[in-house]
Amino acid sequence: MMSEPSLKEQLAAYEALFEKTGHLYGYESLARKESDPGTYEAVWHILSNICNAAWSVGCMASTSPVAAEGGDALWALHTPTGDAICVSRGITAHPGLLADMIKNFIRLGYEDHPGFENGDIFENNDPHYGGIHTPDFDMCMPIRYKGKLVAWASSVTHVNDVGMAQPGSIGFLNPNVFADGLTFSMEKVGESDRYYPWYDLRIRSRTRTPDYVLGDARGRLAGCITIRERLFEVIEKYGLDFILDASKEYVEDSRRYAVSRVRTQAIPGRIRKSQFKDLAMKGKRVLDPSQDIDCLFNLPMEMTVNADATVKLSLRGASGTVPFGQNISPTALKSGLLNGYSHIVGFDMFNSGPTASWEVEMPPSGSWANPFEKDFFASSGVAWAPAVIWMSSLYEVFGRLFQMRGFVEEMAAGAATTMTAEFAGQTQLGMYLASLTLEQASNGSPARGYADGENSAWCIYTPNADFGSAEVIEGYLPIMYLGRNIEPDSGGYGQFRGGLGHTAVWMIYGTTGIDYQCGCAGMRSKVLPNHGMYGAYPTWPDRPSYAHDTNLKELIDAQKPLIHERGPAEDPTITRIITARQMEDAAIAPFITPEPLQNYDVILHPVSGAQSMGDPITRDPISIEEDLNKGWTSRRVAEEIHGLVVKQESERDFIVDVAASEKRRQQIRAERIAKAVPFKEWWAVERTKIEARENMDEAVLHMWRTSMELSPSYGEELLAFWALPDDFVF
Amino acid sequence: MAEFHKADIEKLIDGVLPWPATQDIIKSPKDSDRFDKYIEIMQERVTFKETILLPLTPMLFIVSADGARVVKCRCGHDFGDYRTNWKLSSLIHVRDDEASLGEIYKGREMPDPSWTQLREYICPGCGSQLEVEAMPRGCPPDFEFLPDLDTFYSEWLGRPLPDSVASEDKTLETIADWSAAK
Ligand SMILES: [Zn+2]
Repeated sequence: MMSEPSLKEQLAAYEALFEKTGHLYGYESLARKESDPGTYEAVWHILSNICNAAWSVGCMASTSPVAAEGGDALWALHTPTGDAICVSRGITAHPGLLADMIKNFIRLGYEDHPGFENGDIFENNDPHYGGIHTPDFDMCMPIRYKGKLVAWASSVTHVNDVGMAQPGSIGFLNPNVFADGLTFSMEKVGESDRYYPWYDLRIRSRTRTPDYVLGDARGRLAGCITIRERLFEVIEKYGLDFILDASKEYVEDSRRYAVSRVRTQAIPGRIRKSQFKDLAMKGKRVLDPSQDIDCLFNLPMEMTVNADATVKLSLRGASGTVPFGQNISPTALKSGLLNGYSHIVGFDMFNSGPTASWEVEMPPSGSWANPFEKDFFASSGVAWAPAVIWMSSLYEVFGRLFQMRGFVEEMAAGAATTMTAEFAGQTQLGMYLASLTLEQASNGSPARGYADGENSAWCIYTPNADFGSAEVIEGYLPIMYLGRNIEPDSGGYGQFRGGLGHTAVWMIYGTTGIDYQCGCAGMRSKVLPNHGMYGAYPTWPDRPSYAHDTNLKELIDAQKPLIHERGPAEDPTITRIITARQMEDAAIAPFITPEPLQNYDVILHPVSGAQSMGDPITRDPISIEEDLNKGWTSRRVAEEIHGLVVKQESERDFIVDVAASEKRRQQIRAERIAKAVPFKEWWAVERTKIEARENMDEAVLHMWRTSMELSPSYGEELLAFWALPDDFVF
Repeated sequence: MAEFHKADIEKLIDGVLPWPATQDIIKSPKDSDRFDKYIEIMQERVTFKETILLPLTPMLFIVSADGARVVKCRCGHDFGDYRTNWKLSSLIHVRDDEASLGEIYKGREMPDPSWTQLREYICPGCGSQLEVEAMPRGCPPDFEFLPDLDTFYSEWLGRPLPDSVASEDKTLETIADWSAAK
């Protein structure tokens, strides 16, 4: 009898079959689905439920605030060669990464040595081997049934602290990989369902919150064991052959869904979208002298929808690496992209299938998206930051394609920003803690093709948007919520507006000193976060506030009004009510407070809304009236940007004069035409300003220099567009 | 395959379809005649007679005009060959200093004008704000979509257009003309 091919051989054979037939595993038909569609569907739901059971078990076992309160974790079931078959709820940014990790273990020959046995635990968090950033611990366990490797269980949790140079898990300040903390580089970390003792010892000595990190490890393990034991029951019931066949069919089925969705709901052609992201660190508290700089990232997307309804994505023009934690490996970028793709294109059976329907062109070597060939020690401390912005572009480009085909109910405008709040210091329980709050996991959702977005109910990296309970967060961290409010006018201005964001207002309480790290996981603070779609105005930049060494205790003792919200942009509440030795009412993020914050210090941490779509003067007047009366927009915006004529009866009683507004809007159209100039006229002047580098910050110039150097064809097109000399350098 | 009434699709587009009916559309299998119904609705809403080949945005359409394929606004304004970025034929208003940005973004909302500029593209015919871009100086405008119309009609819809046109970006040809004349 021939021996079974190795997993490495099977993986190569599947790749060849896909190349040859265009179908995963060479499955030109879905035999199990066709012969027994009921069982096929039922088993899919059973397997999905198994993953969700693992999520519940794992999050509860973990105890860390991020997993237990935020559910910011994920479990998945994979084919023997690593493809994700189905996944739990949670951070769906990860199935691609987990699938690639298992394939990587196979390709590296681990089947021969150290072998894949039941109870073995393998782990990777190392970006050099496909991890995204070190706080995301990706783990997997082989599942053998009667000796045969039939599946893998996998999991990821985002740990509180991974021993980075700076406490916490949003390593935006890491100057290089040596600041990225503890790495598990494609390691076997346990067997017989137990971690090795030395695994615990490393975590104990090299992370700042070992109990939570080890709690997460136990959570991942508990979930994976749950998957394995329940899978055995399913195999007993439905037979091994059925499970092995159907598992692969689910993946191919999902690939077909993604392709057919593009073909029936999108349009072939070339679509482009630019995006930019700032990281202004000059003059701030940094870790290395090389970081006393301001950076701007170029994150362009060019997507080609091919005649066969496959999709090609290009990052031609991406700017260079940065001496911060915001570089990402191409493997991680591509894997992470499955998240956006699963939200907007291939979501019927969420698994690895759709990844086979797209191709990501290798990003320019030496760019933030492909750092290691030229800058081997580039940090990926918060590699998500640029990745989520690129994912947002995917929403928008597909939104445009769905609109063209008439499927307005499938559209979304772009996202806004992801700005994190992390604390490191002594808690009210007298223990040291470094932990994220969950505020950022609840942005406004993008405007839809037929309605406004939802307020504070959406997150680009997880469909389980959840900012956690204030009372629970107060239990973990020495902060008290003085407010958690919908932020008026935070969803851009358009016909349909983005869902609004919210602002958390915290008072520090119960500590001997704690750092507030206003972190970048995709924030923008110098530039507008995105374009407006179809003529809408984009949301504003992220500008948090804080006050250190304040009069808040005196205000409380005197029973005077406290601060509960941001207030108007030109008359911030914090400057009206609080006096302090150190105050920033519109700080440029990201930053770490220069000194540890003390009791009665105040933070206003805004979490952004999302983008609008459509010309603001076409927004339904009655919707604006409702927003006015809920306090969700201001009279200034209603009048000056939406062109309404408004009467105010009392504080929350506005009446819109619809007929007068219609006249006013006609007038605005005429004013716009009078004020604007033909593009060609502007172009002729603008090109001379570009040539003179007029009013262009050094961060902008540096970005253009690297983009053009790393992608010469991109540079040529830019020069040709402005009719600049071939040898022009910014 | 589901099918929906044209009147309901119109309401959906306008954002006035009641939520349960909207949900029904979201949850149902997609209607295969949506594109045709959408074009029909749009054709009734525009002021021009030429046949819409593709809606580019809710305001702009690629239409067939005397054998040429051009971009037109709802109001009828002609932006020229669809293979050249229509923005080149648009009016533009750029906010690149604090005074002009401050009309939209107040106080702490203000972006840094040496990092970014706000470009508003205005239809010369009707004064609609068609797109808004926030970009650093030096960035060419996004050419959002160059469709492969012939593949779409012949291979995806199974009804080839009477003539075929090479789908290539002509934007830089216009720029070359401008710089030759400058
Ligand atoms: Zn017009």
